[in-house]
Parts: sequence; C-alpha cells; structure tokens
Amino acid sequence: MKLFLQILLIVTSVLLIVAVLLHRGRGGGLSSLFGGGMQSSLAGSSVAEKNLDRITLGLGAVWLIAIVGLGLLVKI
Amino acid sequence: MLSAFRSALATPDLRKKILFTLMIVAVYRIGAVMPAPGVSYPNVQACQAQLQDQSFFSLLNLFSGGALLQLSIFATGIMPYITASIIVQLLTVVIPRFEELKKEGQAGQGKLTQYTRYLTIALAILQATGIIALADRGGLFGECSQPVLPDNSVYTLALTVLTMTAGTAVMMWLGELITERGVGNGMSLLIFLNIAARIPAEGGNILNNQGGLVFFFVCLLGLAIIASVIFVEQGQRRIPVQYAKRMIGRRMYGGTSTYLPIKVNQAGVIPVIFASSLLYLPNLIGSLIGDQNEASTWQRFLQTYLVDQSSWVHITLYFALIIFFTYFYITITFNVDERAEEMKKFGGFIPGIRPGRPTAEYLGFVLSRITLPGSIYLGIVAILPNFFLSITGQGNNQNFPFGGTAVLIMVGVGLDTVKQIESQLMQRNYEGFLR
Repeated sequence: MKLFLQILLIVTSVLLIVAVLLHRGRGGGLSSLFGGGMQSSLAGSSVAEKNLDRITLGLGAVWLIAIVGLGLLVKI
Repeated sequence: MLSAFRSALATPDLRKKILFTLMIVAVYRIGAVMPAPGVSYPNVQACQAQLQDQSFFSLLNLFSGGALLQLSIFATGIMPYITASIIVQLLTVVIPRFEELKKEGQAGQGKLTQYTRYLTIALAILQATGIIALADRGGLFGECSQPVLPDNSVYTLALTVLTMTAGTAVMMWLGELITERGVGNGMSLLIFLNIAARIPAEGGNILNNQGGLVFFFVCLLGLAIIASVIFVEQGQRRIPVQYAKRMIGRRMYGGTSTYLPIKVNQAGVIPVIFASSLLYLPNLIGSLIGDQNEASTWQRFLQTYLVDQSSWVHITLYFALIIFFTYFYITITFNVDERAEEMKKFGGFIPGIRPGRPTAEYLGFVLSRITLPGSIYLGIVAILPNFFLSITGQGNNQNFPFGGTAVLIMVGVGLDTVKQIESQLMQRNYEGFLR
C-alpha cells in the first residue's frame, strides 16, 4: 500500500508539473507583480485550456490524497 | 466604506470573483500547513518551539508564510517564481532575443512568461533540494536534536523534493487562476497572504513578551508607517502630454491633453527584494559549505558585520544597495527613449519641449530627480525594523509585520487589488473604496 501510494505520488507529481507548464501563462511576470499596470483579462479561455484545467484539478486532487494517505500511513 | 463593500458583494460577477479568490486562498493556506511526505510532523513542531533565532531564513520564511519552517508541501514558497521573474527581467537587457520578445508586445510577453514558468520549476527543484539537504543535516533548525527527516534514504528524500516541486507548480497555477478569474494579481496576492498570515502570531508575541503598553505603541507606530507608505506610494508627478489632432479617414482622432504619470516610487518593492536576497546570499553560502561548530575567521567576520542585522555595516550596506537597485530597476523598466519615440509616433508632445531626443532627455531628467526621494524613502522604510530589535526580539525584524519589506509589499499589493476591484465597480457605476 505504501509503495503504491509512493508511486502514485511520483506519477501525479510529474504529471502535475507538466500539466501546469502546459497552461498558457497569465500575468506579465514581475512588472505586474508589485503594483504594476492593470491589464484587463478580457480574453476567455479556450476549450483546450478548459479541459486542461479539469485535468489539472483531477491530478491535484489525486496528488493531495496520495500525500495525506502517505502521511496517515507512515505516521512517523 | 461599508456601503462600498456591500455594493461589491451585490454585484454578481464581482461577488463570484471575490468568492473564487477566497476559495483559492483557503486551498493555499491548507497546503501551506500540510507536511510533505517523509517529514516528521511532531519533530518539526518540537524543533520549531526550540527555535529562537529565525534571522537566518527570515526572508525565505517571510515569502513562504512560515511554510518553510513547517517543511510543508508549499515550503519553497513563492520565492522560485520571484527569482525566475527577476532573472528573466534582467536577461531582457543581456540577451538580444529576449529584448526582441519584450518589444513584440502581447505575444512576446506571453513567451517570456512561459520561460519564467519553466525557470520557476528548475529553481524550485534547486531550492527544494537545498531545503531538504539543509534539514537533513540539521542546519535548518539550529541546535535541534530531533530528526525532522527520520527516514533519510535517497529514495524518500527524492520523493519529498519531487512533492515540493509539484507543490510549487500547484502554487503557480493557483496564482494564475486568481489572476485569471479572481481579483488582483494572483502571485502578489499569495505573497500578501503569506505576510498577513504572520501578523496575529507576531502581534501575540509582542503582547506576551513586552506587555500591553508596548503593544499599543507598536500598533500605533505600525499604523503611522502604513499611512506614510500609502502617502508616498500614491504620490506621482504628472507630466502633461498634448496630442495633436489628426484625421484618419473621416474621423478625427486625438487633440486631447493627458498626462504621463511618474510615480515617486516607480520601482515598487522590487529593489528591497533584490537587496535583501543579495545580502542573505553570503550567509547561505557560508552555512552550506562551512562547519556548524567551528567558525573560521571570515565566517565570524560575516557573522558580525553582514548577518547581524543590528550592525551598522549591515544597515548601511542594505540602504546603499536599495538606492542602487532602485535606479537600476527603473532604468531597466522605464525606457525613456522608447517612451519618447512612442509619444512622437502618436503625435504627442510635452508642451515646451521638442519631440524626440529632447523629450527623452527631459523624461530622464525628471525621472532621476523624482527617484532620489523615492529611493531614500524605500531605504528608510526597509531599515526601520532594524532599529526596533529590542521590541521585536532578535532576528524577527524583517518578519516584523509593521515595517520593512513586509509593509511595503502589503501596502503595494493591497492598493493594487483595491484599485482593480474599484475599476470593476466603476463599470457598474458604483462608488468605490477610495474617494
């Protein structure tokens, strides 16, 4: 069970990183970080982006469950 | 004020946005206290109770909202993203291709953001490895005997690093979700949260250690500092710009007179972040390569002059670095030649000054003059807490939520967010927060 959870955690971690990186970046980096210009986010998200959102959400949920499960199981 | 809140909540789409932001914030805070796999939670708690001097990781811990010393899944905090943004921003000066991308506008900017995100992940791996290595060697908590990572086989440690890296990715995504569907800029809002989350604990600390009277005065002082920071942040010089009338097809364009706002503190809080990251670098290197028990001469030298935040060398150096970086950052971000060129292209001019090179020179002149008080103000606010060491307790000063970096970030982000909410309210003709 522990091994399974660990493998699950590894797989979901990698997939999660990939999924997040596949998203189109929002916000213009540092310039808009601390009190920069105000950009209006008028552009809606595309269908691909929406599906990616869903996938990321699912992966994130599994990832969280794996972490909590490992924490409960190992309990050091 | 209260009616503005009510009207903000009464507007359906704005209410949705605010609630969405709050939901993300809740998710984020839960993640910030959830221990990463392989970390022994009770031992971490025990070690934290023992920990007296936090000065060493103050900045990192500040940006992670205490998640770093919890060794939680979000332990790397927002720092990798900040570092990545700074690096990419600096590279636009160095690498011609980046400069081209920056000039390309929206599409190029998107590409730069994409690079920043890749770099964030790379830096996150580095930082997570660093944290884990440090925690494994017992360097993170000083003299704490309990092992925070009981099972230190390579496999388990790698798993922890991987989880923290994925945590950074998730954090980045959460920030982007807020930017996209919520209010304000997600990344800066998360930093804001990290700092704000510490206020109750720090306040309680002062109340317990120093008594009610000191606490009262600290609160008063904090309010005064915040008010003055807002005052300066809002201050700007408005350079009038006159646009010529021109006909395009059958329609008349231009002929308006507007102004080019130049803020007193055009650089925001970034110089402070630059300077403090730079100052803490030798400290980090020293702790990574040096031996904990016997300090060599140069290590002791570093300790007395650079690390100790109450030493005058540290304070002077910090101040000078902030002033330098303010000018440095403004020359990078505010390109006067570009502005002058743009103005010329669209038929604008500053009354009394020829378009083109004279305009650029004039803008540069105004900018360098107005930045001087701006940079001195930044420096003063940033070093203020170093003088209150006796109140806040040794080492907690930059974390001290009523002065320094923390207040600058909080006020900057707070103002920005409120302005964004207000512009949304204005679309529906409601009175805003700021009058």
